[in-house]
Amino acid sequence: MRAATAPSPTRVIASWEYRNAVRARWVLTMAAVFGLLCVAVTLLAFRTVRELGLTGIGPASATLVNLGVLLPSLMGLLLGAGSLAGSREQGMLAMICAQPLRRSQVATGAFLGLTGSLWTTLGIGFGCAMLIMAGVARGSDVPALVTLIGATLGVAATSVAVGVAISALVGSRVQAISFAVGLWIVLSLGVDLALAALAPSIHLGPAGLLGAILLNPLEAGRILALLGTNFQGTALGPFGAYLIATFGKVGTVALLVGDLAAWTAAPLLVARWALPRRDL
Amino acid sequence: MPEAAFLEVIGLTKVYRGGWGLHDVNLTLPRGTIAALGGPNGSGKSTFLRCVAGLARSEGDVRLDGELLGRTPGPRAAIGYLPQSVAMPEASTIGEVLDFFAALRGADRRDLPLPDGFVRADEDRIGELSGGQRHRVALAVALLGHPKLLLLDEPVANLDEEGRTAFWRMLRKLRDDEGVTSVVSSPSPSELRGVADRAIHLDDGRLHRVEDLTESADVTDIAPHPDTNADLEACS
Repeated sequence: MRAATAPSPTRVIASWEYRNAVRARWVLTMAAVFGLLCVAVTLLAFRTVRELGLTGIGPASATLVNLGVLLPSLMGLLLGAGSLAGSREQGMLAMICAQPLRRSQVATGAFLGLTGSLWTTLGIGFGCAMLIMAGVARGSDVPALVTLIGATLGVAATSVAVGVAISALVGSRVQAISFAVGLWIVLSLGVDLALAALAPSIHLGPAGLLGAILLNPLEAGRILALLGTNFQGTALGPFGAYLIATFGKVGTVALLVGDLAAWTAAPLLVARWALPRRDL
Repeated sequence: MPEAAFLEVIGLTKVYRGGWGLHDVNLTLPRGTIAALGGPNGSGKSTFLRCVAGLARSEGDVRLDGELLGRTPGPRAAIGYLPQSVAMPEASTIGEVLDFFAALRGADRRDLPLPDGFVRADEDRIGELSGGQRHRVALAVALLGHPKLLLLDEPVANLDEEGRTAFWRMLRKLRDDEGVTSVVSSPSPSELRGVADRAIHLDDGRLHRVEDLTESADVTDIAPHPDTNADLEACS
């Protein structure tokens, strides 16, 4: 019988996953790489700003956008994909699920712990960049930075959720990692390349444009991050420009935040549904 | 008068894509029994333990002290399960692993029925332990929270002679003092001679025979008996 004051299994598993993830060598390496890249792109952007005689952090944060969407999404997918599948292969998942808890709590705990560890990693990377930016940042730059960090954290959570769902669905860790990498390539590059190749032959109407954005959480996150840095600029791309023209700034932010939330909740629900149906 | 059933397995059937995992297994064990689960490789020993523990989907019912073991987590607090092999995170310490599982069970992890020194010091990292020492940690996890039913898949496979002796002694003590029921799989059940009260023999997913070892001490004497799903009560 569980003690009345015992922490919930979800919380216990989240703490366990968090601790194991932040200790993992490859996660530490990725965190260091992310931090160094953040510092590097920030310094390079400031050099350009100074050479142009400009002030503010806009160019620096704009260069951080792609970094903040691409690398965290890959890390999140890999973390999530390796979680349940790896634990299952090691026999740990069987030992955990033999305890008095619901397997859906295991999936949720894994998601929360891994998301927390990834957010910690991103916080360190962004923290390094912020230290450099602090000297030149203006008050008006704060919303841009908040938007950038919020969008990055959102994309990270989404990626972990998708990874955990993959992990709950496939048979082995290798399969899960392969699916995750494949999905990341499709979402980060494949969709844009496919649209560029098909653009001359197909005409994407408003519904097609909206669908292309909402079905790709990386694109949604990228546009969301850019909204704070270059609201009126061309950096938003055709998808971003379409959203702004159709829904306005507030509507676009709400739509993209909702899209990322849905992309996080739906895979998590899939993982919570699939895990109890697996033999361990 | 027959002893009251503690573990009841009724029509337990598990089908894999490649064939039967378990085929209509019926078994009853009274409280405070140590049962040796024997059979050749691939006979269904691990599958049986996993199905009873609720880790593999199966047909049929498993009741523990009259309560159906279904999807609800509550009754599983009475079960301690040890898989055949488990790899715990190497960067974790023994203390962290025990704390983790104790928290999941809502149990006091210092209250383990193991002799001092059976598990190494709390601060030792899993990655620094030998295979046998890691196995001892996994055994300690299975014993957290004073489970009433132990499902142990080859629990002594990686233990040295001293560890085996300590483990069997502990299992008997749990049976005698707390009425703990144990189902212990082993590829060589003769090793459990003098420890087990019952021998359950599986072959090709079928329960061939259950023997009362309190009368016949040699587990290896069990002969396959096709198409028989024995009820332990009939033996006792």
